[in-house]
Order: sequence, then C-alpha cells, then structure tokens
Amino acid sequence: MKDNYLKQAWLVLLLALCFGGVLAGVEHSLKGRIDENKKADTLGQIPNLVPGAVSASFSNGVYRAVTQNGDHAGWVLLVTGQGFADKVELLLGLNADASQITGVYILDQKETPGLGNKIVEDEWRAQFAGKSTQQPLEIVKRKAEKDNEIEAVTGATISSETVKDMVNRAAADFRRQLASGGF
Amino acid sequence: MTEKGPTPLERFINGILPENPVYRQVLGMCPTLAVTNGMKAAMTMAAAVAFVLVCANILTSLIRNLLKPHLRILVFTLTIATFVTVADRIIAAYMYDMSKQLGPYIPLIIVNCIIICRCEVCASKQNVLTAATDALGQSLGFALALASIASVREILGSGSWFGIEVMPAGWPDWVVMVLPPGAFLTLGLLLGAANWIGELAARRRTTQGVA
Amino acid sequence: MSEEQQNQTEVAPAPSLEVAPGPHLHTTKLSTRRMMADVLIALVPLVVAALAVFRMGAVMQIVVCTAAALVAEYLFTAMRGKPFSLGDGSAAVTGLILALSLPGTAPWYVGAIGSFSAIGLGKVVFGGLGQNVFNPAMVGRAFVMIAFPAAVGASAYVDTSSVVEAVTRATPLTALKQEGLPTSLADLFIGSTNGSLGETSALACLIGGLYLCIRRTASWEIPAGVIAAVAVIAGLINLTDMQAHWTVAHHILGGALLFGAFFIATDPVSSPLTPKGKWIFGAGVGALVMLLRKLSGYPEGVMFAVLIMNALVPLINRWTIPVPVGGPVPEPKS
Repeated sequence: MKDNYLKQAWLVLLLALCFGGVLAGVEHSLKGRIDENKKADTLGQIPNLVPGAVSASFSNGVYRAVTQNGDHAGWVLLVTGQGFADKVELLLGLNADASQITGVYILDQKETPGLGNKIVEDEWRAQFAGKSTQQPLEIVKRKAEKDNEIEAVTGATISSETVKDMVNRAAADFRRQLASGGF
Repeated sequence: MTEKGPTPLERFINGILPENPVYRQVLGMCPTLAVTNGMKAAMTMAAAVAFVLVCANILTSLIRNLLKPHLRILVFTLTIATFVTVADRIIAAYMYDMSKQLGPYIPLIIVNCIIICRCEVCASKQNVLTAATDALGQSLGFALALASIASVREILGSGSWFGIEVMPAGWPDWVVMVLPPGAFLTLGLLLGAANWIGELAARRRTTQGVA
Repeated sequence: MSEEQQNQTEVAPAPSLEVAPGPHLHTTKLSTRRMMADVLIALVPLVVAALAVFRMGAVMQIVVCTAAALVAEYLFTAMRGKPFSLGDGSAAVTGLILALSLPGTAPWYVGAIGSFSAIGLGKVVFGGLGQNVFNPAMVGRAFVMIAFPAAVGASAYVDTSSVVEAVTRATPLTALKQEGLPTSLADLFIGSTNGSLGETSALACLIGGLYLCIRRTASWEIPAGVIAAVAVIAGLINLTDMQAHWTVAHHILGGALLFGAFFIATDPVSSPLTPKGKWIFGAGVGALVMLLRKLSGYPEGVMFAVLIMNALVPLINRWTIPVPVGGPVPEPKS
C-alpha cells in the first residue's frame, strides 16, 4: 500500500521539494532588499517631516530624528484616527522640544475621492508646518487668519477636522510625556 | 498523444484577439476589475501574469507525461503558486511602490483562472513550443484587454495616461471611473463593444461568402 | 397531447387568443405620450419656482440637461437601429427631472454627462423605455454625484459669490447635519432656501404632484407611502429626542422628499404594479430616506433610497401578485 502511494505522489513530493528550494533561494537573495524598502518607506519621509534630519531611530513608539552629525533634530510620531470613511494614518513631525509642528504626512487614508482625499495634497498639509503646539489648532472654512487656524479642504470639513484632531491630540500627549521625562 | 488542432503560431494569434482571455473567455475578472484604474498598475499586473503563465505552461508541458490525472490540478496549483511567489518577491524588491499599490492582487494571481485554464487545456497536452507560444499569445491578449480598460479609466478618471497628463488643463476628473463602479461600467461597455464588432465582422464574412 | 390533436393543430392553426383574468379594460388615453405630457405639465410649477429662486443657474441646467437627454436618446436609438422615440417625450422628462435634481451651481458638463449616463446607462442598456430597472434620471444623478463630488456633493450647493441670496447659504439639510441649524417651515414651504433646483419649494411640488395624482399618471399610493413612513419615523425620533431641531413637518417639507415622492418614485416603469406593492415601495423609500438622512455621511438620501427600492421592485411584484377574480387558482390535481 505504502509503496503504491509513493508511486502516485512522487512527482508532487519532488516538485514540492524543488519549489521549496527555489523559493528559499529567492527569499534569501531578495529579503535584504525588501526589508530595506519597508524601512525606507517611513524613514524616507523623515527629512520632509523634520527639517535637517537625515535618519531616525525607533524606540518607545516614536522616531527620534537626527541630523547628519548626530544632533537631535526632532520627533516623528505615527498617529491613527477615525476619518470620514475609514481609518486615517499619518506621520507627525515635531521639533526637538515638541513646541512646533514641522510637518504632516498622510500614510494611509480612504476618504472620499475628489473631496476628503485632498488631505494628502502637499499644499494642504503644508499649512501645518511651523504651527505652534502651545494652543490647539482650529479648522476654519475661510482663509486662515490667526496663527492656530488651518483652512479646511473645500467640501471636506470632516476629513479636515479628523486630521486636525489627530494632530492636536498626538502633539498634546507627546508634550506631556516629554515634560514628565518620558524620553 | 496526438498533436492535432491549431499550430503553435495559430495558438499565439488566437490568444491575442479571437480567443482573448478577457473579452472572449471572460476569465481573470479579478485583476481586470481591481487593478485597471491606472496604466502603470495594469501593465505591472499584465507582466506578472505573463511571467507566471509562460513559466507555468513550459514547466507543465515538460512534465506532462509524468502527470497522474487525479493529481494534475494539485501539480498545477503548486507550480503556479511557486511562480507567483517569485513574482511577488521580485516586485516587492525592485518596484516597492507598485507592490504596495497592487497589495493582495499579486498573490491573488494564484487563483487567476486564465493560468490554470491554459495549463489544463493546452500545456498538459502539448509540447513545450506549443505551450510557450500559447502562453505568450494569451498573455498578450490579457495585456491588451487590461490596457484598453485601464486607458479608458485612467484618461477619464485622472486625465492622464501612464501618469502623464494628456487631457487639457481644465479637465474635470471623472472620479467614478477610478472607483470600483467605473471598472464594472467600463468592462461592461467594452465587452458589449467587442461583441458588437465581432458580430459586424461575422456578418461581413457571411455576406462576402454569399456574394 | 395525443397524436391526433397534434395533427389537427398542424393542419389548421387556431387564431392566437390570449387568456387573462378579468376585468378586461382598455383605454387609448393611457399612452406613454399622454403620461409624459402630464409629467411635463406637472413640472411647470417646479420650473417656475426654480427660475424664481435660482435665475440663470436654473435656466442653464434645464436647457443643458433636456437638450443632452434628447441628443442622447436620438444617438442611442440610432445606434440600436430602433425607430426614433423622441415623440413620446420620455427623454425630455428624464432630462428635466435630472436638471431639477442638480444644484444650479454645477458646471454645464455635469448636466450633459448626467443626461448621457441617464439615457445610456439607465435606460438603453436595459433595452429602452419600459425595460429599465432603475429610474434613469437617478442613475444619471448617481453617476455625476460619484464622478464629480466637488460639483454635485453637499458643498457644491454653496456659492458665496452668487448674486442669488439663497445660494450663498448651506442647504437646509446640510445646515442641520453639520451645524445643527434649523430652517423655518415657511421658508421650506415657499422654497426660498438653497438646494437642488426642483426640491426647494414644497408648495410647487405639492401642486404638481397633486395634479399628477388626480390625472392618475402617478399612483397616489407611492407618495402616500413615502410621506407616511417619513412622518412615522420622524415622529418617533421627535418623541425620543425632544431637542431635535427638525420636526415631522421639517422632514416632509425639507430636502428632496416631496419632489422625490411625487416625481421620481412614481416613475411607472421602475415602480411596482399592484396597489399593495406601491404602498410597500413608498414606505421602503420613506424609511430609507430617513435612515440615510440620520445615519449616513450624506445630508439627503432620496436618490439612493429610490435606486435601492427600484432594485427590489421585481421582488415586490412577485410578493404582491393579486388574486384573480373568482378566488385563487386551485392547485392542479396530480
């Protein structure tokens, strides 16, 4: 009986062994490159989020961004929140003492195409850079006048509010942690 | 095993239009609908499918005389899964952004019925040359179908083609075309157009035959 | 059938007679053309109200949509090699209803593309008038609403630079949903608010709608069902939340409810055939409107409510097959 099974399945077994070997070889030769890509995906944004930074180290849930000669340039936080349609994931850049926002980058969102998804556009996100974290930001439906005002994406007040709330919450939490010597 | 039926060249030509996998056989609908909102993604998908299809067809054809009938599907699936995983890893390593955009659809090539259909219908019964030309023809047909749908969707939906702006500056993007409903509408209308053209051609042939 | 009988039928084919349960009524008055003319007459008060409130925006939208609908009908029937059906007026009605369901601020291509998708995707692909599953005008509106959210979505209605005063404010439903602001009942009734062209004036909708019902072009059961369902659900909401800004009357007079109930849901092709079915259909539309108004991201839900209920019409028709005169057909003895 056993002999009979083998006679039937030897091809499958042989192929499985060969394919397994091939896949192991492919994985071995490409793994380094793929991991590099994944890391670069987040780290590649660091120079845009914290001016002057070239790399960052990850610890306690935040990226600590450093400049070319190793000086501490700022922080990058990964923030998630509920948007209009689905979860929004963004990176928030802060300067070294977390007193100022240096940049915002939307990693993932599924907001309404044509309206809410305009939160990913450079022009809109650029409004956040340079804002102080001393007072909470506000969304306004006209041209921003005061220092803490952000102009809403036209027709997408809820998506704009989501990003603003996420930024406010994350910045306030992080400042508190930083003040209590958390980092 | 007798090798009657279409010659390798005929099989190659058949795959492109007369037996187009999307417009004639209506196979492989998942990638056809899911990744055709832009030409770049669609062509990456077409290339990945072509790679898997050609490799799987050649390998299946090489081992066709060793196949046990009741284990053949198992062997096909094993072969296809291996090549799909190779393609997935290569894309993740060298085209990381595209790999993120295509997400699960590259691994899902495993269940793309065009490939298992060609293994079953052609490669498991024909010699290597025939199987390879058949795979090339079908891949080309699939790529053409994806290109036609993706062109319509990307030009109307984003005003661009391969990411290059082609429409005038004031073009209002038809957002619906890059969303899933746009895929169904475009596929349905193009499928209708393909049938209509086929019918016209057939009618012309018969009237010519009579005259 | 025995062999002898078969031979008989082959020799002398009997004249084709149809057997149907009574009553056997026939009227020449119920032609498509007459019904469509009635709808056009009934839409006159709405058009007048739209012109009074929105001025040039309304003129542009109505001209573009109606013209595009007629061109689309002409092109698509020519493509299919069918006799031209422009004379029955159904394309004009589709175009006009689509125009009245759009904001006056939408650019011209929105109306044109909407009309082409209404006639093409909503009607012709199903086989032409009488074969369509969904209300063509609403198919067209859904298409442009998803295609151009910035031009047809909630924010598109507001144009702060407009010379027309109503257009500078948010629509009543958007004001309610996003800012919790109520609108006065008198404004909703007369129609001096912002909104889609045809929906703002409850008074105009009522005049046109009652005309349609009296002429029997529209079945009164459908609007009655819609309004009853909205009244019950809005009433329940009011009972549980006394602070609600919108009362039952607000919900009935506001938004596109009356326009939808009288002119969109009553489309004879895409609504059920039997009176009982019409009640179910109307109540379903009303319930979905309230569901979408309260719980969805959109401020108004008439369009999606009608489209969803359209899809259920074949089922409703099957559930409500009337009993023929003389009682149910007995089961054949086996």
